[in-house]
Amino acid sequence: MILLYIGAGLMIIGALCDLLAGIGMLKFRNFYLRLHAATIGTVGGAVVPLIGVALAALDMPGLPGRFAIAGASFITALIILLVAPAGSTALAYAAHRSGVEGNFYFDHLRGEER
Amino acid sequence: MIESVVKLIVPIFSLAIVMYLIRAVKGPTIPDIVLAIDCIGYDLAAFMGILSLYFKSPYLISGAIVLALWSYLLDIYVSRYLLREVRG
Repeated sequence: MILLYIGAGLMIIGALCDLLAGIGMLKFRNFYLRLHAATIGTVGGAVVPLIGVALAALDMPGLPGRFAIAGASFITALIILLVAPAGSTALAYAAHRSGVEGNFYFDHLRGEER
Repeated sequence: MIESVVKLIVPIFSLAIVMYLIRAVKGPTIPDIVLAIDCIGYDLAAFMGILSLYFKSPYLISGAIVLALWSYLLDIYVSRYLLREVRG
């Protein structure tokens, strides 16, 4: 019974992180600031609810195929945790090379020093 | 107990997906659009897991793994296209 409450709490935390990421995606000014909001939306809004689903499905007898739901949710959470920062980093490097503007103090990729 | 929690969660997820869609429509550059679509994909994977608990069906969770990997593929392909080094 205790795993069901932990899973429900993780799902509510994930929904709140997702709402904050949506507000930040609308309010920030340029691309490099929206990248922070996107990281909140992927790690806080997708990995945490999937771990909550995996913990809640183990504690629901009468659910058909509950071990399949728990295993697939945990594997999906692990895949998103490994894959989303790599994709965001590659996209940020390509955007900087193709000339998207941002407000930088100094730029290491163009060879500027402090 | 889990049904009341899911009924509380579903409007918040829908509101977040609508906000991402607004950014995807009016994004000034191509990486903004791609970033918003990636966030929509990962959130749909999590949302599909929650719906498989609500409808008590283990068939919905099979699409979540493919959806996460497809979003990563979109990232890599668009970044490779922006660097002008498309090698197939």
